[in-house]
Amino acid sequence: MTGTKTVRLTTPVSIAPLVTFRITFGLLMFVSLLRFWWRGWVTDVYVLPEFHFTYQGFEWVKPLGNTGMHILFLIVLAASLMIAAGFLYRLAAVAFFLGFTYIELIDVTTYLNHYYFISLVAFIMIWLPANRRYAVDVLLKPAGRRTEVPAWCIGILIFQISIVYIFAGLAKVNSDWLLDAQPMRTWLPAKTHLPVVGPWMYAPWVAYLFSWFGAIYDLFIVFFLLNRRMRPYAYAVVLLFHVATAIFFPGIGMFPYVMMTASLVFFSGEFHERLLGYLPGYSLKPGEGTAYKYSRQKIFLAAMAIYMILQILIPLRFLLYPGHLFWHEEGYRFSWRVMLMEKAGTAYFTVKDAHHREQYVVNNAEFLTPLQEKMMSTQPDMILKYAHHLATEYKKRGVNQPEVYGEIYVALNGQRSRLFVDSLVNLAAQPVSWKHYTWVLSYKKLAQ
Amino acid sequence: MKKISLAAFFAVVLATVFFACSKSGGGDGGPEPGQGFDKSAMLASYADNLIIPGYAALQQQLAGLKTASDAFLAAPSPATQATLKQAYTATHLQYERVAAFQFGPAESALLDLFVNFSGGLDYNFNTSGELTGFSTDSVTIEQNITAGGYNLAAMTRASFYSQGFPALNYLYFGPNAIARLNANPVKRKQYINDVLARFKSLADKVASDWTGYRASFVSNTKTDVGSPIGNMINQFAYQMDLLKGPRIGWPFGKQSNGTVFASKCEAYFAGISMALAVENITSLKKIYTGGGSGKGMSNYLAALGKQSLNNDVTAQFDLVLEKLKAIPDPLSASLVNNAAAVEAAYKEIQKLLTLLKTDVPSATGVQITFMDNDGD
Repeated sequence: MTGTKTVRLTTPVSIAPLVTFRITFGLLMFVSLLRFWWRGWVTDVYVLPEFHFTYQGFEWVKPLGNTGMHILFLIVLAASLMIAAGFLYRLAAVAFFLGFTYIELIDVTTYLNHYYFISLVAFIMIWLPANRRYAVDVLLKPAGRRTEVPAWCIGILIFQISIVYIFAGLAKVNSDWLLDAQPMRTWLPAKTHLPVVGPWMYAPWVAYLFSWFGAIYDLFIVFFLLNRRMRPYAYAVVLLFHVATAIFFPGIGMFPYVMMTASLVFFSGEFHERLLGYLPGYSLKPGEGTAYKYSRQKIFLAAMAIYMILQILIPLRFLLYPGHLFWHEEGYRFSWRVMLMEKAGTAYFTVKDAHHREQYVVNNAEFLTPLQEKMMSTQPDMILKYAHHLATEYKKRGVNQPEVYGEIYVALNGQRSRLFVDSLVNLAAQPVSWKHYTWVLSYKKLAQ
Repeated sequence: MKKISLAAFFAVVLATVFFACSKSGGGDGGPEPGQGFDKSAMLASYADNLIIPGYAALQQQLAGLKTASDAFLAAPSPATQATLKQAYTATHLQYERVAAFQFGPAESALLDLFVNFSGGLDYNFNTSGELTGFSTDSVTIEQNITAGGYNLAAMTRASFYSQGFPALNYLYFGPNAIARLNANPVKRKQYINDVLARFKSLADKVASDWTGYRASFVSNTKTDVGSPIGNMINQFAYQMDLLKGPRIGWPFGKQSNGTVFASKCEAYFAGISMALAVENITSLKKIYTGGGSGKGMSNYLAALGKQSLNNDVTAQFDLVLEKLKAIPDPLSASLVNNAAAVEAAYKEIQKLLTLLKTDVPSATGVQITFMDNDGD
């Protein structure tokens, strides 16, 4: 049993899917980062804010200033083009992974699932021989040219994409999504401007259709993509689904394009051979096949097994926490929960001195950007980090042992807003930790 | 077989791309007939009943203000000053009725910055610890008058604080206004007329731009950032933020451990801050309810099945207005003499702000964010 599996994982297969993946990934990242820059977000998000919500364990990651951030973006932009071209590929992949991940680790408020996906894929790409065909590297050094790679090199990418879909699907199996069609029921009536379908957006059954179709799609699309006969039809559904999400929810940015492109890796080697055959200089018949061989393949296989186990466990860590996941958001990130809830909040903070003689109402706009304030208002770990920051700031202003109290109102999935945290708890004294935050009030669903 | 599947693959990709392009490039469509709520009709009602007439009325009030100002400048006296105050008050009150329309033409003209600068929400205290808020920069004003050669189009806080209402209410009703006018009549009159002329040209521009802007305003029924509906919902929250902050809460000392900044009330020298605040919220409620046209944001909420939220918002508007009316003008004195009434109003303001900043946007699916998001 183990024997057959190892054989299958190490069997040489065409390198072509990897080459397509490398080129499309590099180009897409280039466009995506350029768009980010062009919209002025490098400055808005990484230069202007005076305070950043760091990730636990990554507090040392700091923005690099105006020039520094733009240089970092330039480096990552160049690296993405070099990945696409297969030029100094290993170096470019390392630079891209480190640069991109560094950028994403600066501020939690910019967290997006597909940024996490890109970081993971970039990490995987470092270890794959994606530059061994149709790349500048083998143009310069033809001896390094290979036409085949071990099957696991493609398999690990398929695994990663499958994780995204299946966990996104599992996340949708909840009563709000399936029984109340929330948040679709809230979001779709805001889409009546769309031509043709617009007028239907007020109808509740359409929200149910979207919800159920979305859940079934996410849960099962991988299995249809894996099936050789169903694959072309399944990919047509992939395109349809993601184009629809791009039209209905333009706010999700590059995510649909990332998934549409990445899912091509499900197609066979022959398919990719012919697809790449349309490119200039890609010979369809590469003569004698040569397979890329890892010198210490067993280490790679073991590392891959550990990686895969982690990828399965990390999205399940929410099970370790009590309380409603959407409300407490403990174990929410890094779990492929995409477009899953409508959550909004308003947060008022008051700083008092140790003897409660002085009292200062905090103006959040003084410390946070509108985006940071919006994200902070609904997520407990950010509320805590901000409260600690306020304590530091007010101490500098001469307040003796500042205590920070939050009066925070949060609305979830079409329900009315209500108090989110215990207003009588001094948040400045609460530790940042991985443990359950008891100062967050528990969630009870209200009648509509 | 393989050739066919590849051909089919390209066909699907092409069809999808075509579908996507035709969708996204297909424009915003016209009025939506039939099903559900007609957002376009709501926007048309706003444009035709509140916004365009609102700016026309502002132009009229400005003409009246100019007449009263001319009379005052020709013969400065307590009597002409009293007449002028009526005209000034009427103009400032009218401005409060259009204050929540800070998008499109008003936004591109930066009307609010140049006419009624609130200090902004993100910068509250200057280097000497003074609240900024609704200040008047009398130093810059006097300098401008003495030295001349001022540029009222300059994009600085000093420039915003030395023109529009902050400047006019100081020049008309500030300390020794009449004596100062008599002391340096030529240059001071010149400055007042320049400020008035700039105000008029900005108001004229916004009013005339709305003629062209109306069509795109009415036909765009999107709800994303920068869309008309998105802008209006955001303005509800913004105006409430101004009320909680620069209009009432900050001068009251909420941010400063009770240190009152009495002179930082809106139109401090005219002493009409509460009248302005009441008018601002009365107008905001009128915008929210659509002025009884049946085509307001409140009707949209009701159409979405959010009637109880809608009832609560309307009731909270009324409660806030009741509490505001319990604070007598001038606010600068009431901040100290009627602190309990101010405190009571502040509490209700915060509740209304929460409803308008969290519940209403959440119920209508309006984004208040400026970046990509994946809904978490």
